[in-house]
Amino acid sequence: MKKKALVVDDNASNLMLEKDLLEVGEFEVFQAENAASGITIARREKPDIIIMDVRLPDMRGTEAAMILHQDKETSDIPIVFVTASVMAGGMEEIENIPNSGFIGKPINTRTFAKEISQFIK
Amino acid sequence: MFWKRTPTRSREYSESIINTVREPLITLDQDLRVVSVSRSFYEVFKVKPEETVGQLIYDLGNKQWDIPKLRELLETILPQKTTFDNYEVEHDFATIGRRVMLLNARQIKRILGKERVILLAIEDITARREIENGLEKARKELEVIKQSEDEAREYSESIINTIREPLIALDQDLRVVSVSRSFYEVFKVKPEETVGQLIYDLGNKQWDIPKLRELLETILPQKTTFDNYEVEHDFTTIGRRIMLLNARQIKRALGKERVILLAIEDITARREIEIGLEKAHEELKELAAELKRTALVKSEFLANMSHELRTPLNSINGFSEVLYDETFGPLNEKQKQYVNNVLVSGKHLLLLINQILDMAKVEAGKMKLALSSLPMKSILNDISMLVADMVSKKKIEMLLEIAEDLPDIEADELKVKEIIYNLLSNAVKFTPEGGKIGMQAKKAGSEIEVVVWDTGIGIAPENMGKIFEGFFRVDTPYCQVTEGTGLGLPLSKKLVELHGGKLSVESAGLGKGTSVRFTLPIVSRKAV
Repeated sequence: MKKKALVVDDNASNLMLEKDLLEVGEFEVFQAENAASGITIARREKPDIIIMDVRLPDMRGTEAAMILHQDKETSDIPIVFVTASVMAGGMEEIENIPNSGFIGKPINTRTFAKEISQFIK
Repeated sequence: MFWKRTPTRSREYSESIINTVREPLITLDQDLRVVSVSRSFYEVFKVKPEETVGQLIYDLGNKQWDIPKLRELLETILPQKTTFDNYEVEHDFATIGRRVMLLNARQIKRILGKERVILLAIEDITARREIENGLEKARKELEVIKQSEDEAREYSESIINTIREPLIALDQDLRVVSVSRSFYEVFKVKPEETVGQLIYDLGNKQWDIPKLRELLETILPQKTTFDNYEVEHDFTTIGRRIMLLNARQIKRALGKERVILLAIEDITARREIEIGLEKAHEELKELAAELKRTALVKSEFLANMSHELRTPLNSINGFSEVLYDETFGPLNEKQKQYVNNVLVSGKHLLLLINQILDMAKVEAGKMKLALSSLPMKSILNDISMLVADMVSKKKIEMLLEIAEDLPDIEADELKVKEIIYNLLSNAVKFTPEGGKIGMQAKKAGSEIEVVVWDTGIGIAPENMGKIFEGFFRVDTPYCQVTEGTGLGLPLSKKLVELHGGKLSVESAGLGKGTSVRFTLPIVSRKAV
């Protein structure tokens, strides 16, 4: 059975790139363009992994992550932040989120799906 | 009564005189043996009565009195003259030390007998002589003092005329007695219209200043002195002035009248400078606050810029890479070439963004070093392998001279690799086909020294100052360089310095090659 991945990114182009790369990497991919719908899909689909942007239109990706962590239904899902905020401030915000990982943009398309797989226990 | 005195009484009287006078007195017989001695003699010369009377004078006090000069006086001079006065004799007595004595002698007939008696008065003038010597010394000193007093007066007058500060001396009626040269210069008044004038009348009554009147007429008579009174006055000739007044009421050295010495310091310029300084200080404070705000805005701006540029680059590089890899179907040769151009440009842009951000971080002091022990020999070899491809494509020869004993160093691995890669790739880029590049590395004291050299296009002397400015690039007929960012060298220099090392560039000139030398400490001096 295919692993389920949820990608949350407000940039349609990046969302498409990540979705395509994950599909090539044999994932079943769900997409969301904001945090709220991402949380809804996560609760409904219980994905094996969530790929989350940090700057989202309705809230910080890190805030969405905390909401999912505090929810028993979704607390075990690992979250990988894929973000263009690679400078010091952006990193600190992410380091405080439990059960999470980080990949900086621009991503390496040749290894992306493999990198994501490694975050799944 | 004197005239009724009997011989006995007269003897008693003379003895009482002998014993009363402070001056030691000694009576000798014709053979120079002591007949009698005054009490003061014993006291002054520390001899005892029992070893004195009947003794030869020379034998007194263990022959201390055997004084050649005394012998001469008693044996040669006295028999001829029967008297001598004020013979000064200096003698070193064993018991009482060096003494200066004044000797007076009379050879007289004894009142009650017929033998001759010698009366010898010995005045110890040691102390007096000392006092005289002291007085002489004091007199000489006084002379010196008097001389220096004259000099002092001359000196003080020359001070008055030399000091920059205008000085004015007034008599009791506040008339000008004398004025320093600087007073004339500063206040533009002439000597002929100054001396003898009432101070208030100076310069067409310009000096009739209410505050000055108060100081001279009210405060000074009470206190005889005042210090640093600030007076502002608008002079018709020289304009508005701020003055600092100091005054002393003193007795004149040569007379009894009182003299008022008034020092006037023109602090107009100083006050202006102070006001200017205060203003400048305020402005600086504002500027510092502004700079702090700007620095904050700048670092926020850089973080935003980094994010905003990376987001589209993620698509540009990502999709072109997927296309190039033909993940979703084959491309023809032209399409593949084009998409590769997009990818290379996108990667160049990413490098540029990263380097600009790194420069900004270093400049803001926000670049952190992740220190670890680096095996330099293998790192230098590894990086040289990274450029080996470019080297062989351009038919360049690469020479590595890495010392066998090159030690490991404590540094930030990614940054050290970046420095070496930047310098080596520059050497390749700026060296035409068939040239040579090389790298030398050795231990130099507590550092390692690495030199990356090439036989390439070099740097013209006039451009030496610009190479660290950023975005400086040389285009030459045989080497049109487009692949560099122009930030590699300045960033490398900053990263070397961040580690506590130094980076310098040498070139004999355009077309004569370049050599970049840098050092890195073996043990980092930076706190982690």
